[in-house]
Amino acid sequence: MLAFTLRRTAIALVLVWLVATLVFMVIHLIPGDPAELLLSQGGVAPDPAAVAELRERLGLDLPLYTQYLNYWAGLFRGDFGVSLQDEHPVASEIALRLPRTLELIGAAAVIALSVGLPFGTMAALKPGGRLDRIASLIAGISLSVPVFVVGTLAILVFAQKLGWVSAGGYVALAQDPVRHFILLLMPASTIAVGLGAVVFRVTRSAVLEVLGRDHVRAAQARGVRPRLIILRHVLRNALSPVLTVVALHLGSLLGGTVLVEYVFNWPGLSGYLVRSVEARDYPEVLGIVLSISVLFVFLNLLVDLAYAALDPRVRHA
Amino acid sequence: MKALFSPRFNQLALPGALLALIVLTVLAAPLLPLADPVKQMVNQRLAAPSPGHLLGQDEYGRDVLSRIIWGGRVSLTVSFLAAFCAGVIGTLLGLVGGYFRGIVELMSVRLAEVILCFPPMLLALLVVTLLGPGAVTLVLVLTILFTPAYARVAYAETLSARTLDYVTAQTALGATSSRVLFRTVLPNIAPPLLVQFSLTVAAAMMLESGLSFLGLGVVPPSPSWGLMIRAARSVMEQAPLLLLWPCLALAGTVLLLNVFCDRLRDVLDPRGAAVGVIPAFLRKSRAAALPQATTEPAPGLVRIDNLTLSLKTPAGPIKVVRNVSFGIAPGETVALVGESGSGKTLTALAVMGLLPPVITPVDGSIRFTRRDGTVSDLLQLPEADMRRLRGNDLSIVFQDPSSSLNPVHRCGKQVAEAILAHGGGSARKARDRVVELFRRVGLPDPARRANAFPHELSGGQKQRVMIAAAVANTPRLLIADEPTTALDVTVQAQILDLLAELKSGAETSGMGLLFVTHNLAVVRQIADRVVVMYAGEIVEEGPVGEVFAHPRHPYTAALLASAPESEAEELAAIPGTVPSPAALPPGCHFAPRCALSTQACATAHPDAVEVGPGRTARCIRPMEVA
Ligand code: SF4
Repeated sequence: MLAFTLRRTAIALVLVWLVATLVFMVIHLIPGDPAELLLSQGGVAPDPAAVAELRERLGLDLPLYTQYLNYWAGLFRGDFGVSLQDEHPVASEIALRLPRTLELIGAAAVIALSVGLPFGTMAALKPGGRLDRIASLIAGISLSVPVFVVGTLAILVFAQKLGWVSAGGYVALAQDPVRHFILLLMPASTIAVGLGAVVFRVTRSAVLEVLGRDHVRAAQARGVRPRLIILRHVLRNALSPVLTVVALHLGSLLGGTVLVEYVFNWPGLSGYLVRSVEARDYPEVLGIVLSISVLFVFLNLLVDLAYAALDPRVRHA
Repeated sequence: MKALFSPRFNQLALPGALLALIVLTVLAAPLLPLADPVKQMVNQRLAAPSPGHLLGQDEYGRDVLSRIIWGGRVSLTVSFLAAFCAGVIGTLLGLVGGYFRGIVELMSVRLAEVILCFPPMLLALLVVTLLGPGAVTLVLVLTILFTPAYARVAYAETLSARTLDYVTAQTALGATSSRVLFRTVLPNIAPPLLVQFSLTVAAAMMLESGLSFLGLGVVPPSPSWGLMIRAARSVMEQAPLLLLWPCLALAGTVLLLNVFCDRLRDVLDPRGAAVGVIPAFLRKSRAAALPQATTEPAPGLVRIDNLTLSLKTPAGPIKVVRNVSFGIAPGETVALVGESGSGKTLTALAVMGLLPPVITPVDGSIRFTRRDGTVSDLLQLPEADMRRLRGNDLSIVFQDPSSSLNPVHRCGKQVAEAILAHGGGSARKARDRVVELFRRVGLPDPARRANAFPHELSGGQKQRVMIAAAVANTPRLLIADEPTTALDVTVQAQILDLLAELKSGAETSGMGLLFVTHNLAVVRQIADRVVVMYAGEIVEEGPVGEVFAHPRHPYTAALLASAPESEAEELAAIPGTVPSPAALPPGCHFAPRCALSTQACATAHPDAVEVGPGRTARCIRPMEVA
């Protein structure tokens, strides 16, 4: 297990380097002068003086390798540059907002798993039954409704019409824990709608597949109690494919937070990103994309490790 | 493509027709009598539906219906265009990558996959930052995002298509690479790409509307569903319907696309639609109504009478095992012999109550004498009682030990399950017992093996683990279903020795053994009596020595003749094949393959007749068998 962990971590570090380099390259890969590109609005050629000034501020006038070295030196110092709009350091803003986004994702994953896993299992144990048909229908619909539509409609119903919760916002945990969690509930549930449907579907098909395997029949032949067969020999084995598919959806999950944070006014990283893109604030966008991509790599590393913990064959491979 | 004309095609009709309707409507938008979607009438803002404006007017007094249709036009154009461009580029990359492999693969498929390192929404926002929002940017972004998915599908399919006979043949005949790729490989991999296309359109619509919703996609005043939802948010208190229409249009279209895609996949690839097998322990009732079992005590350990098993098929039930009757005495080893498809394994599974769900007993009884002397018909026993017998009084060792062990649990734990399931006391006591059992079945270093995962053991060792689990509760009857078939020849002999040794052991004395096999050499070595099955019935039964010396059924004789006495001897296969249970020959089922067959054999189905003390044969000319 230790060797496996070390190997995977090494691969993840290489990926981080790759991602960071790619993010650095983006500005140079686009044809044309990046400073000019950033300043041009609706086809109007920007003021040459402003372009020159931006080039200097972004360090674009230096040779490429110097820029790259400076970039890495900055990353190691935790310096992601300053905002073009207000000179605010990008790193400190990210440090403030990243935990909020992580909390949102974590809560959404917990909700999705605690709904998708049991219902997926129950549906698979009686395929074609009433529960299976209804749950499959709901999952199919959930997957087709874009996350911002779910969020907006949730606000319309629960905040506007029923008045159960406020339309969105954020209160720090330290300030008012109860309100903090109430406000967390709606955005997290919104993300969980699509994710839960995915978990339901994979669980259902994984459980169905495992049920037909020889080792389940062998457990039956030993006289193992039905509940234990389902827990130890069916669900336990079905978890690996569920994990794989959830990992595949991590990307769209992170993307979903962009929309959900916007809809619910959740002051996380993704909302910050939208504002930066609108303002075409280059250092901000790069910093956020870099941190989310690195986060993505590490979440994938966690999934790999969990996968190995679940399946002894992977550990020794 | 032939699949498109099958009855399954009907499933595609409804979602397909609705999608076509949507596409036609948005295409015909300029021709329809619609209000100008961008014309503002501020004095009529948020007006309720009226004859001129069927869905009412928005916050600038613009016609909602017209904006929905024109908005759909923008969304669908962007999504189709992006799905198409990504499809062309991705397929090309996948094709050349999968066809040429090596460095080309690295430069095409693997390079495209780098894109998957980024969450899609982020990449989209990055590009928007650089290029500014707009429809062209959207198409570009979506194309970049969806190219790797196509490349992956095309790559995987090309890899498998490449090995197809006619593809290799074409290459051998000197066809140019491009010809092979576009004329031969591409048509072959078209179906999965088609599915990918409809998936991509749906995903692209979701992303496009999301970006427009953030104000970073389609630029106002062009209508778009995402933009309409964005705008309606600010007035949702006064005009909730304004929010509902674009939401419905968007979700409805994506839903239709997804349903269409699912059905398309089922049509093009019916394998994926197969449902799993529901094992016996999940079924409440076990058997169909069977005739009341006789209450007279079973002679010996187990007595099977008239067992008839029926297979459910779309064309109606087929009796795959018919009127099987035989018994096993305490301490006796009975071999159940036959080719695959003879019904021997089904008979064994029926005793265990582990028949697959499509097969049900429709007649007969299996009377079993338990350890405490009570007799019950296993076919009538409720599942809960049956569970208490399995792994306890009744045990089975399956053919393939590798798939019979759960790969994620330690071997010892799985054996301990058998002990704990039948009230074997504490977990600690069970653990000690497992080590003792492992020693008994000849596993070296038993304590360490108990702690090992199945993949750490060899095939023979795994089968020893399975045998340990089977004898853990000193069963009265042990069934071994081809326990050595999946193993190496040398290991086979060891496992047979182990079974023979276990039978003679003091602890398991009196244990009956039902040995299911197709290997006659094994039968001679291990069994007291032999039961030969053919096409779902018993054709001959008797003591091993006599049957082997003087077979009384031509099938047994043929089997004996074909069985190699030693490694050197040639295997003389019996001419012909086992008849399908759905189309049995009317008279003797063996007649088409029988050397002794006469006119009479083809008309009347022979009964089993006694051909000696304790011997029967189902043949009208038993004494003429050489
Ligand atoms: S009944 Fe006739 S066909 Fe059948 S096995 Fe006997 S001799 Fe052959």
